[in-house]
Amino acid sequence: MPDLNTGTDLVPAARQEGDTVVASVRGEIDLHNSPELRTAVLDVLLKPNPRKLVLNLSQVPYMDSSAIAVLVEALQKVRRTGGRIFLTDLQPRVKGLLEIARLDSIFTLAKDEKEAMTK
Amino acid sequence: MPNTATPKPASLELKIDSDAANIAAARHALEAFANNHGFGDPIAAELGLCANEALANVIRHAYLGASDRPILIRAEILPALPPATPELRVTIRDWGTGINPAAQPRKPYDPLTPGGVGLICLQKLMDDVIYTPQPDGMLLTITKRKC
Repeated sequence: MPDLNTGTDLVPAARQEGDTVVASVRGEIDLHNSPELRTAVLDVLLKPNPRKLVLNLSQVPYMDSSAIAVLVEALQKVRRTGGRIFLTDLQPRVKGLLEIARLDSIFTLAKDEKEAMTK
Repeated sequence: MPNTATPKPASLELKIDSDAANIAAARHALEAFANNHGFGDPIAAELGLCANEALANVIRHAYLGASDRPILIRAEILPALPPATPELRVTIRDWGTGINPAAQPRKPYDPLTPGGVGLICLQKLMDDVIYTPQPDGMLLTITKRKC
């Protein structure tokens, strides 16, 4: 179960379990720090080419459209190899933005990491 | 002697540089302003998100990423007599390219193509969104009525 070092406090914990990568994201994300999130997700979390990327968003009280754009870019990349992205532990504001952007049915939402791992 | 003067609307003014690092503080200030005037968490959150998206648009499109240009944000509560409801009005003034984001031709929204979410937030969450071109920039006015 190797740990992955994302090099940013925004993704303080990440690990690989077989063909799955599980990562925790932390903090409010907007145009200021979404480039950091992009680097961590695209360059580190997706580097092992996982079939499944699980992002635990329990410590993300807020994100804006620039963070959404990072997630969509990651989803496009994962889908090219038949993979999926699971978003877990959504806080209300994040869930609301996903609904407005009509992304709640495009990402796979899970109650928690455990549920995401069994789907 | 009864006070018959019209109460002065509560207001807030923020002057920030067009640095993305300033977005969060401006958003927090606007959300606190809305909360402090009884608009409640859901409306404050919607207003904060929309202001965030509008400021990001200014930085990216009006100022083309420059981080040292001025942005003037004003918020005020507009009281109303029942049955009308009070309104919270926020204006965001920039001295940038003057491009009206709402008037740009755009493809139908596709959730799988990044972009366009900010304007959708404004349109869906605010009661009024008005871009008023200025001789030297743009004035955006967004209004949210108290439910």
